[in-house]
Amino acid sequence: MDDLVIGMAGSGGDGIVSAGESLISAATYEGYYAMMTKSFGSQVRGGESSCRVRLSTHRVLNPGGALDVAIALNWDDFLKFGAELPVAGTTIVIYESKTGVAPDALPLVGVAPREVFAVPIGELAKQGAGSDKAKNTVVLGLLAGWFGLARTSILRGLRKKFIKKGEALVAANEKAFQLGEQYAKEHPLATPRAMDAPGVQPGSRLLTDGNDMAAAAALFAGCEFFGGYPITPSTEVMQFFNREVWKYGGAVLQCEDEIAGIGAALGASFAGKKSMTSTSGPGLSLKSEIMGLASIAELPLVIIDVQRGGPSTGLPTKSEQSDLFAAAYSAHGDVLRPVLAPTSVADTFDVTVEAFNIAERYQTPVIILSDQEVAQRKETVDPIDPARFTIETRRVPTAAELTDYQRYRFTDDGVSPLSHPGMQGGNYQGAGIEHNERANPTASGKLHEQMNAKRFKKLAPLQRRKDLFHIDGNPKAPLALISWGSIAGVTREAYEAARKEGLDVKLLVPWLVYPVAEEIYRDFFSSVRSGFVVEQSYQGQLYRILRSYVEVPAGVVAFCRSGANPIQPGDVLAKLRTASLTLQEPAVQVPVED
Amino acid sequence: MPTSVAALAAYQSKDFKSDLKPIWCPGCGDFGVVQAIYRALAAIGRAPHDIAFVSGIGCSSRIPGYTTAYGFNSVHGRALPIAQGIKLANPDLLVLVASGDGDGFSIGGGHVPHAVRRNIDITYIVMDNQIYGLTKGQLSPTSPKGLKTVTSEYGSLEEPVNPLMYMLAYGAGFVGQGTPADMAGLADVIEQATRYPGFSFVNVQSPCVTFGEDDDQVKDHRANMKSLASLGHDPTDRLAAMGLAQGYGTDLHTGIFYKNPNPPPTFDAQMRVRQAELAPKALPRERILDMFVQR
Repeated sequence: MDDLVIGMAGSGGDGIVSAGESLISAATYEGYYAMMTKSFGSQVRGGESSCRVRLSTHRVLNPGGALDVAIALNWDDFLKFGAELPVAGTTIVIYESKTGVAPDALPLVGVAPREVFAVPIGELAKQGAGSDKAKNTVVLGLLAGWFGLARTSILRGLRKKFIKKGEALVAANEKAFQLGEQYAKEHPLATPRAMDAPGVQPGSRLLTDGNDMAAAAALFAGCEFFGGYPITPSTEVMQFFNREVWKYGGAVLQCEDEIAGIGAALGASFAGKKSMTSTSGPGLSLKSEIMGLASIAELPLVIIDVQRGGPSTGLPTKSEQSDLFAAAYSAHGDVLRPVLAPTSVADTFDVTVEAFNIAERYQTPVIILSDQEVAQRKETVDPIDPARFTIETRRVPTAAELTDYQRYRFTDDGVSPLSHPGMQGGNYQGAGIEHNERANPTASGKLHEQMNAKRFKKLAPLQRRKDLFHIDGNPKAPLALISWGSIAGVTREAYEAARKEGLDVKLLVPWLVYPVAEEIYRDFFSSVRSGFVVEQSYQGQLYRILRSYVEVPAGVVAFCRSGANPIQPGDVLAKLRTASLTLQEPAVQVPVED
Repeated sequence: MPTSVAALAAYQSKDFKSDLKPIWCPGCGDFGVVQAIYRALAAIGRAPHDIAFVSGIGCSSRIPGYTTAYGFNSVHGRALPIAQGIKLANPDLLVLVASGDGDGFSIGGGHVPHAVRRNIDITYIVMDNQIYGLTKGQLSPTSPKGLKTVTSEYGSLEEPVNPLMYMLAYGAGFVGQGTPADMAGLADVIEQATRYPGFSFVNVQSPCVTFGEDDDQVKDHRANMKSLASLGHDPTDRLAAMGLAQGYGTDLHTGIFYKNPNPPPTFDAQMRVRQAELAPKALPRERILDMFVQR
């Protein structure tokens, strides 16, 4: 077996997420590719919590579809996750026998799992560790026993985790682990399912989540200032950055509100530093006025928006891709603001570095449109070679330009030299008010038109950045998939499966989601008769934006649904199969009337 | 050999005056305020390019453009956060913020207590005219109760805020007040505020001649203003300062209400200490991702 999807749920105190973290950490160390997503109710403590861990010997693109293994410490909690933890006929179900549920009377509607084990998990924990707090350690033992998972590394991880609290606690957890393992051995699976051994040396890959990756990439890109306000699910960006940036001579200012956060960040950029803020849905709305200021003042700024279910408070702990309209359009006035979307933890690094480069090169705010799934899932990442990145900095005026400085001088590429306080001769008035080339206020319609043209022109080269698009498959394929953000990983898996089935399909995944690169889409659509824009939102926001800029073939439709109803690779594959059959039907012959 | 004090000075008032012609109405108090700022900046002697002057929106917020410093005429109510970001990004800069009563105490009021408690070394100058002038005469948060304006046709029903009491209560280390009717006094308060190491606040009673109560406000100021020094006020006595500040709206006290005799370390100073302490722990940038390797 080369791929295993495990889903576990319990109440907040059961440590189910902690078990998942031990597992993914051990598996990554051993050389597996792994991905872990967490999902919680919105309670601060207690309430239900769950995680999915997918392990594989090859690269993992998404958290997987139906579970291979479902673990319920408590059925009420498990069932609250619904479609996030789908049980199928192929699933092995393991649950706490204390729940009193009979193996043939599981509260699962319309499905008969392959095998069911009612395990006295709490009892084994007490027996091994003297406390039912070790239930999660028993679960790890069960998984190691039944699926041959990372035994040595899990034990090594448990030691690392508990040694601070003493050798006795390490021993207690080792015992609980062994009891779980022993239970599994005494109750073997009807069909043994051990994971294949991974192919690489231990300890070569990275393991992190999208928020930490974004913060690390910002540091790498030379960002020295963060202004922001805590908001789920983006807060970890600020937390990570705050731990690190002081070491690099920078600072984090936790502000009194979202507006002050972006205000301080913009101030730092005005003062000459690379700067950023991060937020989620409601915060993005609050920041929109100052994003507009950054656009007209032509100052570099990176804004990370980690999307969650919306509008308003919406589903603050669940992933959704419904902020694209807000990211692209939330400003008064004529504004063009680049929006980039990472699709995985790994490419969050590339996208973040690129966002800083675009911000600096074009003196513009750039939004990184992450989502809760990418931001908070843990993922094994292949080593990233820093040498393949170029770090760009803003164009500062030359000595000659400073003798007669014009902050907003009209240039061929629309980018003017940008000074900052401290630079003699570069003194100017940054302003939200329309201005002339010397940055003096104006109410002239002619200048306003010219300045708008300048601000749009400088971003035109983005339209031709093919490296910000990932296009795979036969360029002449009649069947197409387009997908962005975290859901692109699901779509890619479906694409690969469809290709294996022999379907003639191609795939486009943009990092640059706005402005719409019209030529690139036109080329892509030229062969397409049928296809899907796959998105985790109710409206299908990318699909709708594409339709307003390019001629989308009539057979291309949105395949989308609201957050917390994950689209699975199988769903996309089924759509493709049907579409492919339809394409093969001969065109209907309309009888010619005499 | 220099022959006069003026020749000794690195900068003179005129070095801070820009070529832009103010948009203010003839007789506006803000003309006096900008003159006082030129004088204060000349006395302090920092180069214009080492000064960042931030403002929001309103008549008063045009002021940075009338100086030769770097300016940032931003959006309504948000000058303080932007100024704090500038100062933290480059603590060597002299950072001034100009605001009005609406910009500072209405739309931007939420930022004020936090700017004060953070104690970043910036100077906040509010031109308080008790009216919205730029939008042509609406009620402001410092308008006296009962004031009839175009948005309070029958007289306002609200008590005004007291900027001086606010600032003292929030814990500002420097609180002063001036009026363009006393140019020398106003320049002196602004200079002292700017020299104070920490967040400092100057309330300027700057009359609006177009939408204000009457045309003789500057004359009235001159007749009624009382210098705090002449009253024997001890500016290190915060409680006494609060007592005097309660006269806001009726009395016109000028000078320094409060100046902390033992200024605590500023945020920016502490930031530098922390950066220096932590610098040895920095991984080279190209090795930042090492912290994610599972070992």
